Amino acid sequence: MRTDSKRWGDPILVATVAPLAIVMLLFFIIPLVMTVILSFQTTQFYRLSWTWDLKVWTEVFSKPHYWTIMARTVAMALVCVVVCVLIAFPAAYALATRLRAYNAQIQILIIFAFLTDAVLKTFGWILVLDKSGVANWLLAHLGLGPEALNLLFTPTGTMIGMVYGLVVYPMFTIYLSLARIDRDLVLAAYDSGASRLRAFFEVTLPLARPGLYCGAVLVFVLSLGAFLEPKVLGGGTSPLASELIRQSFETRVNWPLGAALTLVLIVIGALSLALAAVVLMRGNRGRTVQ
Amino acid sequence: MKKQTAEIGTRGVDRRAVLKGMGGLGLAAAGAGIFGMPKGASAAESLNYMCWEGYNAPSILDPFQKQKDVSISVDLITDSAGGFAKLAAGASKDFDLVSSDSPWIARMGPAGICRYIDDKDFADQYAEFYPQFRAPFTPLQFEGKATGLPTRWGWVGPTVNTKFDKLETWSSYAPVFDAAYKDKICLLDWGDWPIMPLALYAGVNPYVALDQAALDEVRKVLRAAFKNTRAIVADLAIAQKGLIDGSFRALIGGGTYATSSLRMKGHDYIQSIVPEPKNGLKQGIIWMEATGLIENGRDSKVAADFLKYIVSPDVAKQLSITEATCNLVPNQKAEALFSDAEKKALQMDYMWEAWDKSQFHTVAPNIDDMLAIWQEELAAR
Repeated sequence: MRTDSKRWGDPILVATVAPLAIVMLLFFIIPLVMTVILSFQTTQFYRLSWTWDLKVWTEVFSKPHYWTIMARTVAMALVCVVVCVLIAFPAAYALATRLRAYNAQIQILIIFAFLTDAVLKTFGWILVLDKSGVANWLLAHLGLGPEALNLLFTPTGTMIGMVYGLVVYPMFTIYLSLARIDRDLVLAAYDSGASRLRAFFEVTLPLARPGLYCGAVLVFVLSLGAFLEPKVLGGGTSPLASELIRQSFETRVNWPLGAALTLVLIVIGALSLALAAVVLMRGNRGRTVQ
Repeated sequence: MKKQTAEIGTRGVDRRAVLKGMGGLGLAAAGAGIFGMPKGASAAESLNYMCWEGYNAPSILDPFQKQKDVSISVDLITDSAGGFAKLAAGASKDFDLVSSDSPWIARMGPAGICRYIDDKDFADQYAEFYPQFRAPFTPLQFEGKATGLPTRWGWVGPTVNTKFDKLETWSSYAPVFDAAYKDKICLLDWGDWPIMPLALYAGVNPYVALDQAALDEVRKVLRAAFKNTRAIVADLAIAQKGLIDGSFRALIGGGTYATSSLRMKGHDYIQSIVPEPKNGLKQGIIWMEATGLIENGRDSKVAADFLKYIVSPDVAKQLSITEATCNLVPNQKAEALFSDAEKKALQMDYMWEAWDKSQFHTVAPNIDDMLAIWQEELAAR
């Protein structure tokens, strides 16, 4: 039997990997290195000055407001993950089980909504969440009084926009996991006397974990970079890291500071994911031992 | 200074850089052929123009391109400071002309980004300007030498919906801090635009070098304003919508830039005024855009011709009234071209009163400190 060579010198392997490696080098590694280098420079009169000093990093670590915004960004991202998963799981479950007959149509509708321009969707929420918007109009007609909701220009408004934009990711990843579950395993659980709830928690949920984790990671990473929602729907009440970085680059024309804050956000994101991975691995190991 | 009407959607796309890269690979020509892009490829000369939206209107560029057999490529800027930084970082060699906010154009002369102009070469143009803008026009000068010509202007003061509030109420910025106006104020997140008027209200002249005590006053006034503010928004359409439906009683930091297009569409009950002087400080701010010739070693005559063209009466009229915003122009001869309705929309009957009650916007020595304070207070909000 022929064994595939996995040596790095294998020309086929090199040819296969090279395009992606070049793209990653040009558009990820080199810009990242440039960002690191930039963070050790300074600006004078809105012009970059190649000075190689720690002035910017000293500022980053001595000004608490940068960390306030970073902490808020992580907190908002975590809340967004939880809300997205809570919404996505039942929807994906219904798609994979009860709504199989309409599966294709529903997926097409979701994809249409997903592919609609993010700017359009975010600005659309203004018409819904505004004091004189659709939501309040409906609530007023239900007898809840005028301007019952005041969600626009609040952190809740930001969260609604983020969840709406990102919920589709876990919905599809969870759906893919659920769709692959062998129905016989669930039936076997019923045959063994498990209730519906127990079968769900003992069989379905553990087998859906890969999709759930994958969706959660996607939502978390994308939430860290949320820009439009806090800017448009937050109205300055929930400034997040991306806006801080934009302000540093554009308004303050302080590129080294923007670069340093970008690196801080990248490190926070990477550390959060690493921490989550460790926790999950420990959890998996615990379950395996049991 | 920052105006974000076109920010979302244009961010992050540097057409010049992309084309440059393609050219390096020998693909630009093929790409152009496929997509039919460079309309003016056969033109005798080409100009690269960095400008705000509005300056790029086909009705403005096309006649000049035909008349001079020149092809103009436009790179829209979304932020004056960002445009300056881009040119300063080396992009200046790729451009011939720039239209931006006047403090940044004025800085481009001494920074070596723009070439100084000889006022005598533009005597005919200056002669057509209102007296306030004629040579020597100090806001664009450095050591007696001018960088560019003024192209559009207006003032920064409270923008008010007179259906809800009397104009007299806003003869001071006091309502910004009044509990009766809690959650009814909108600050426009346009860089230093909202900071300057609030600093002036606090008795601090932000256009001179500030000591720590003055910066502390700026912090206090921003903190107090944030407490009462419903929203800090960058998008003009959102701010204008809120002002019209009454959810915002006033926009702070936008002035005529946020007003005239609404008035042009018939919302003449929206007005921008300038508060009365306080503590010996004029409370209004005059903003201005200018166009300069970039120092790229080419010393292009056609670029200088474009500079004369962009301030000519007919073009000034078109530049004044664009789809996104409507603004005043320095060309006095152009005034005759405006209809009465357009003059009313531009608040021309009020413009010199606003001028007299205002100071000119320049780059403030402590602007970075003030922007840092803005960030800090926003984070703590």
